[in-house]
Amino acid sequence: MQTLVLVAHPHLADSTTQQFFKASLPATGVTYESLDAQETYAVDREQAALRQADRIILQFPLYWYAAPASLARWEAAVLTRTFVYGDRRYPLADKELGVVVTTGMPAQAFRRGGLENVTIDTLMAPLAALAHRAHMTWLPTMAVHQFNYLDETQKLQLVVAYQRYLTQSAPDTLANRQAWFAARLPAMVAKLAPKDRAIGKLITATLTQQADELEALMATLAMIKEQDDD
Amino acid sequence: MTDNQAWLHQQLQTVAQHQTKFTDRAFWVALDHLAAEQAQRQDQLQGEIDGRTWRPDKW
Repeated sequence: MQTLVLVAHPHLADSTTQQFFKASLPATGVTYESLDAQETYAVDREQAALRQADRIILQFPLYWYAAPASLARWEAAVLTRTFVYGDRRYPLADKELGVVVTTGMPAQAFRRGGLENVTIDTLMAPLAALAHRAHMTWLPTMAVHQFNYLDETQKLQLVVAYQRYLTQSAPDTLANRQAWFAARLPAMVAKLAPKDRAIGKLITATLTQQADELEALMATLAMIKEQDDD
Repeated sequence: MTDNQAWLHQQLQTVAQHQTKFTDRAFWVALDHLAAEQAQRQDQLQGEIDGRTWRPDKW
């Protein structure tokens, strides 16, 4: 899977959150682009990048309930009507569109009756509408609230949650999570110190065995349910 | 938690602690969470199978 990450942030280098995401990027399969680093957009190149990607991620902090200005500027230049749907070719069809949005307010503020009295899904409606218009698949938004208040354990979890959001098959089921980890395990085991490598291989074997056992249990259960239906 | 699951949890924590790079440690910690999730799902499935198999009305 090829993922294109488009970041809209006027002070990218000064943002600890954005730098954390940048440091967490998976080693392969992801192209990262700052929309604020360009004064004008090379439309052909931007459109080619969109055509090549399987998943497109828009990443930005929430400024007054919307993305920073550079995203709108990029949309106006690159997402021309002809490109998106005008000639009825829909070059973005079946690609996935996701959003990684960061907020200064806690998660509980973004609900009816909460401090912000609006949900993140409501705020993302224009982008979801764009995905619909372009015949794309909309991914559930990944919202990261109050990054600076996260402790080390939460930040560790965020690294992999972010990587999975960028590169794991949707939907986010246990089966897809297992497959994501299984695909990365051999390379991670190879990176281990020599003394840990044998353990790494045993861990891999045990996890595979657990996944197989789960599958067998699900098959048994499906069979019982089928008999119950008779 | 079975012996196997407890062993796996311990090994994953040890490997995670040995990592100097933050993102590498994150991978092993997340893998530990996945293993816990597998164990929980296994428990639930086994429970449902037991529950559905235990049907005195079908004796």
